[in-house]
Amino acid sequence: MMMPRSTGYPAVIADVAPVTPTLRRFDIRATAQPFPPVSAGSHGVFAFGDAVRTWKNPYSIVARSDDGSMLRIIVRLAQGSRGGSAFLHGQGRPGLEITVLGIANLFPVVRKARRHILLSAGVGITPFLSYMDAMDGMGLAYCLHHYCRPEERQAFHALLADRDPGRVVLHDDPDTGRLSEILAAEPVSSRLSMCGPDGFMNWVGAVARDVGFSPGKIHSERFSAPEGGAAFRVDLARSGLSVSVGPEDTLLDALEAAGIEAPCLCRGGACGACRVAVLSGVPDHRDHVLAEAERAAGDCILTCVSRARTATLTLDL
Amino acid sequence: MDGRFNTDESYRFPYAVRNSDAAILRFPFPFPEDSYMYSMNVEPHVPAGPVASLHHAFDIDEHYVSECREKARILAEDPERCLVLPHMRQAEWDFVELAMDSLSRDYPDLFALDRDGDRWRWTNRPLEITQDFVFGNAGTLPCGPFEYMARQMQGDFTLQDQRDGDLWMDGGMVTSQADWSLKFDLGMSFGQWHAPVPKAPQMGIFDRALRFLLMLRHGHPVRRLNWTMTINPRLDTSPENFTIWGGDRGSVTADNVADKVHLRVELQSLFRLPRSNAILFSVRCYLLPVGAIARVPKWRSRLHRVLRDLDPALVAYKGLDRYLPQTVAFLSRLDDGAVLSPGIQPDTAILIAVDDLVPR
Ligand code: FES
Repeated sequence: MMMPRSTGYPAVIADVAPVTPTLRRFDIRATAQPFPPVSAGSHGVFAFGDAVRTWKNPYSIVARSDDGSMLRIIVRLAQGSRGGSAFLHGQGRPGLEITVLGIANLFPVVRKARRHILLSAGVGITPFLSYMDAMDGMGLAYCLHHYCRPEERQAFHALLADRDPGRVVLHDDPDTGRLSEILAAEPVSSRLSMCGPDGFMNWVGAVARDVGFSPGKIHSERFSAPEGGAAFRVDLARSGLSVSVGPEDTLLDALEAAGIEAPCLCRGGACGACRVAVLSGVPDHRDHVLAEAERAAGDCILTCVSRARTATLTLDL
Repeated sequence: MDGRFNTDESYRFPYAVRNSDAAILRFPFPFPEDSYMYSMNVEPHVPAGPVASLHHAFDIDEHYVSECREKARILAEDPERCLVLPHMRQAEWDFVELAMDSLSRDYPDLFALDRDGDRWRWTNRPLEITQDFVFGNAGTLPCGPFEYMARQMQGDFTLQDQRDGDLWMDGGMVTSQADWSLKFDLGMSFGQWHAPVPKAPQMGIFDRALRFLLMLRHGHPVRRLNWTMTINPRLDTSPENFTIWGGDRGSVTADNVADKVHLRVELQSLFRLPRSNAILFSVRCYLLPVGAIARVPKWRSRLHRVLRDLDPALVAYKGLDRYLPQTVAFLSRLDDGAVLSPGIQPDTAILIAVDDLVPR
């Protein structure tokens, strides 16, 4: 337990099953030491790929088997994506090697609250699958409202089939009046947790504020999938190296490929661990961590998702 | 650790605590440089380091049996030294697993853990305990899981819940503390329980420390050394008992300073707990009289320089004012002014004999 596991937990895909046309479930089996226990709301960073390239993507951990041999994740295929999730949808068959580089929790259950209202859309349901298991175990009261497209209703119904029907509600249209009623009926002590696309979370946040939910009782998790963009170059002030970042690479990947020990944790713009000082050039911020003032100052960058507006950036690395 | 324990020690009046030469040499001396200022000084808690006390997840030394007995006495007198809020139950079990796994791995001659699914058998040879229990079922242990395990370990432990981007001290067992109270701090946030430390908040240290700890990863514990001074080998310098120990601070003279004044070092380590996402804060306390420190030439000179030049605000915060002059005077006679190597390692394997401790 004390040895740094920089190499992570080696594993293979053991089973794959479709959840909806765009969501696929992967069961991943440890091939060396078992996976550690996992707290509800955790994500893992998973490394996989082929001879050409390796992706290191964060996914919420839906479940871990009691003996630690298996982890389950659900991966969404984004429209037109050529990233790691598309690779898993295309090539992620049983036997594919996949390494769990690390597990962390940026979205822990607030155990102190006795009642929880969970709101999700699309793949945002994944952390709540582990939440519900944990809350059942801890005897916490909760209700999940999941929003999906009408044609996905059947699939999510099946995914939630073994849950207490009094505690899960599927919605196939985002009706503001109905959500206001649901939230207004909650006792003041309820905690609201939400996960889903930005548009969904902005909508829920606005409705919740309108019915008087205090911002301190709302908690959310926002990951960004790193999206490509124009190629750029970073000059590293301390090491004197120059690293080019291709249109499909992340800055963090490019740094690692150049042998730089760059800090990171979530690899999804959600934690802030990968923050590096920018000495010159203009960053293109794509994270959910930096405050407005920090963005405007332009003197730091989260390397896992953000890019450059200028042809080069100079970093304090 | 050779498996032998000083079983007849007393951490209260009449004091009786012995340190073997080996115990002195493994002391986590906290000053890598000749001057001291509060800092985060956090490093990975890996089984390595310049002194042997850093080589295990949880250090067990020759005082183990006596310290556990002292802890049991304190808890009998004041059961509220162990408090855990109900939402920390999973963290309690995380702690049990971490402690039993670590101790049985690091000291197989002293501890054993046999796991058969969730049926566990714990063997603690020094304390003569064998316990069969069901992991996750508190009813199968004689007391709460956290209390059960923390009673069998040296040092203090607190459990921090992580929520709303902060850490909350929502449980702990605190019997060897340097003048703070679990009863008072229970339920406080990170910023609240650090509020009394002078200067550090202005330096932004706690904001950075909190940001760092929120991202602490399971399997990657960290540690730091903190220090203060205590008169007599008294583990329990709690505010509740100030009337018992506070007066000792005026009792130091040139004749007794070597035996009475102790450097008190806390080996603080922090572990992310995997099921609960809580953080375990372990505070392992080491007490060594300055007379014993003086047997290591590097350490006595360095301690002299650090204490001589200490910031007055820290002197006041740590409550050292009433005996610092005597301590500095004692050490100054033993400091030959030589340049000392950086780092905390003792730079010797052999101690100066007590009789040779004559001032220059
Ligand atoms: S690694 Fe978490 S924000 Fe970049």
